[in-house]
Amino acid sequence: MNRFGQLNRKKALDFLFDHVVEVILIILILAMGNISSTFNTTANWLNIFRNMSMKGLIAFGMTMVIISGQIDLSIGSTVALSGVIVARACRDLPEIMGISVSLACVLGMLMAFMIAILMGVIHGYAQHKFRMPAFIVTLASQNLLYGLAGILSNGFPIANTFPDWFSRIGVGKISGTNGLPIPALILFIFFLIMLFVLKFTTTGRSMYAIGGNPESARLSGINVLKTKIFAFSAVQVMSVMAGFINSAQVLSGSYSFGRGWETDVITAVVIGGTSMAGGIGTMWGTMVGIIFLGVIINGMTILNVSVYAQYVVRAIFMSIAVLVATYRAKKKA
Amino acid sequence: MSVLKAENLTKDYPGTRALDKVTVSFESGRVNALLGKNGSGKSTLVKCFAGAIQPTSGAMFLDDEPISFSSPAEANQKGIAVVYQEMSLVPSLTVTENIFLGRMPKKGGRIVDWQAAHKEAKALLDTMDADIDPHQIVSRLSMWQCQVVEITKAMSHKPRVLMLDEPTSALAAHEVNQMFEVLRALKRQDVIIIYISHKLHEIPEIADTVSVLRDGVLIGKEDMKDVTASDILGMMFGEMQHKTRPADILPGDTPLLSVRGLSREGLFEDISFDLMPSEVLGIAGMLGSGRTELLKSIFGADPYDAGSIVVNGQEAKRKSSPIAMKKMGLGLTPEDRKQEGLILIHSIRDNLCYASIDKARKGWLENKKQRMEIADSQVKNLEIQVPNIRASVNSLSGGNQQKVVVGNWLNTQPAIMLYDEPTRGIDVAAKQQIFEIMWQQARRGVSTIFVSSELEELLETCHRILVMRQGRITGEVDPAATNVKELYAMCMGGEA
Repeated sequence: MNRFGQLNRKKALDFLFDHVVEVILIILILAMGNISSTFNTTANWLNIFRNMSMKGLIAFGMTMVIISGQIDLSIGSTVALSGVIVARACRDLPEIMGISVSLACVLGMLMAFMIAILMGVIHGYAQHKFRMPAFIVTLASQNLLYGLAGILSNGFPIANTFPDWFSRIGVGKISGTNGLPIPALILFIFFLIMLFVLKFTTTGRSMYAIGGNPESARLSGINVLKTKIFAFSAVQVMSVMAGFINSAQVLSGSYSFGRGWETDVITAVVIGGTSMAGGIGTMWGTMVGIIFLGVIINGMTILNVSVYAQYVVRAIFMSIAVLVATYRAKKKA
Repeated sequence: MSVLKAENLTKDYPGTRALDKVTVSFESGRVNALLGKNGSGKSTLVKCFAGAIQPTSGAMFLDDEPISFSSPAEANQKGIAVVYQEMSLVPSLTVTENIFLGRMPKKGGRIVDWQAAHKEAKALLDTMDADIDPHQIVSRLSMWQCQVVEITKAMSHKPRVLMLDEPTSALAAHEVNQMFEVLRALKRQDVIIIYISHKLHEIPEIADTVSVLRDGVLIGKEDMKDVTASDILGMMFGEMQHKTRPADILPGDTPLLSVRGLSREGLFEDISFDLMPSEVLGIAGMLGSGRTELLKSIFGADPYDAGSIVVNGQEAKRKSSPIAMKKMGLGLTPEDRKQEGLILIHSIRDNLCYASIDKARKGWLENKKQRMEIADSQVKNLEIQVPNIRASVNSLSGGNQQKVVVGNWLNTQPAIMLYDEPTRGIDVAAKQQIFEIMWQQARRGVSTIFVSSELEELLETCHRILVMRQGRITGEVDPAATNVKELYAMCMGGEA
């Protein structure tokens, strides 16, 4: 009986350690709910998801990239560029081509998606064929795309050019004032899609393989290049989505949007238990990481804690998450 | 003159005796060769001297003073240095920095005294007649120079015993002579040199004495001038009968795989052979013979410069890849199972399914059920001892890990399996099971290429054995008509 009890205790402890981020998150939510009466309201939760939707979308793509053993630092610039492209398309194309604003907007969106996929292909090729570190390749792209966004917008925000339906992507809600914000809806839909791709498709499984041990994966006849290109493209496409939402919310496109987002995105992915060494991680973990960041930012803003103190708290939680994950991995090995 | 002596040295491991009452002595000023095939106990003896392991019983003496070490650091302090096969140099640093790694000469306690360091390094290199610039970055040195720097580093500690573990294994033929010049210079110093090697033909050239171990027993220690290469072979292998493969497996007569004139510069040249259905073809060759590189090129994992590969009447494209060769029915279990064959952090089940990831699918989707079935069936068929199929593959023993690598490929239903050193570091029972798997597959028509440096194994399992040396196929033997001694001599290029 005693031994049985011990065994259960060990199992419970293991479970706690495996889900330490979830546990801390629940405690955090309960605590916040006690301190502030406004925190645990539907309106506030929808607010949290709406605020995190952009970085969340990118984080889903980044999860794939990091699981594949890579990194993409260019995503912030992609956010800026995609907004600028759509804004510029809406402003100039109707005049040049004699088409409606809506059609111009759609063309701009398509162009942004094409650039995203092109960047994914370039990143995959450069990293795989030329053995350039993804860190450097995507750092170069960060500069490139930022520069292009600046050139395309002549260094000024392009404001108030979008058709109405486009701005709804950023500010719209499903049914009434307390309905689900559309950005949050997009976040949930893509969460399910990306979870499905990572968990149930052969491409997803290949990502784990190439991140876990690229040489073994190659010698197992797995298409390493194709898998890398898929992951790099996925994060770029997600960044374009985020860029649309962002620009739709502020009704303008600017080269300055998205700057530094990669740090928040990588933070969320890492808090979610994805290993920077590759081969380990889940979409669900990243979702938890995103909610975690959202709760901290939202909660501490409600509590009137300064932005700078928020960063300190974030650093502490991130360290705890990684420390526990490393400790667990060491114990398992 | 100083002497290193072992007296009745015995080392027991659970189930085996690695060293059995070995009594031997090595003198300074001479190169003492220590020989023996894999598993003969020679590395166990070296590890005892080096403090890496402790003998079960018996004693060791250095100049009649009893020695015993609880750690390699302690042995090092007592003046015992080992230069291992794997290079331990930092490629991006200079020769001087590598020699004095962690103990650079200093001025005023903190500032590196570069002048003194380079001067000292130069002096050390000069005592060995080695013409190497101490300012040079190690990554720009040739292999033999790296090996010499490694030895210089060991000598800078002024050791009394210097053990060299296969110092020429990574060297090209012309580099070996330059390496030997250094060793001869070393003999002028009062240091006991123990030279461990597989390369029999080098021994007469460099060694003054030769000691041979077999199955943990010292067979003898002779002066080099008193023995011939044939004598040494006899001492290493003794007279032994080898088992043979089951008689019911008969190769077909139309080749399944034809390799013609395959070459890759500096690694292998003009390789041609045919592989029949159901045939188990052995390739015998030592480390550096080009055998691993050949398999990798056939499998599309590495490129080749010339020649052709025809599988089942269909010629493989020049720009090949494992993906393409997998489609043509090939599978490869790589030499280094941990680094190349497995994804250690992932589960046993996942590792059994990576090669067949394209088979167990429904359109875009992975067929979870089928995936589990094929993984589970391999665990059963190959008798992989798993506590839990979801556990990480890292938790398995070497033999079971190897079976996972094999199972991963059998799941692709290959027509041709290439095995590169599949039995390295696994126990006898697991080895036998690997052979059984090969035969079982052969009965189904699968052709096998089996590369090994364990020659007995090849004799035991193969229909035919190709001998590979210095990148070329130098002979073909019938296992029934030869023995280990002859095969070994062929691999080494010495006369038996």
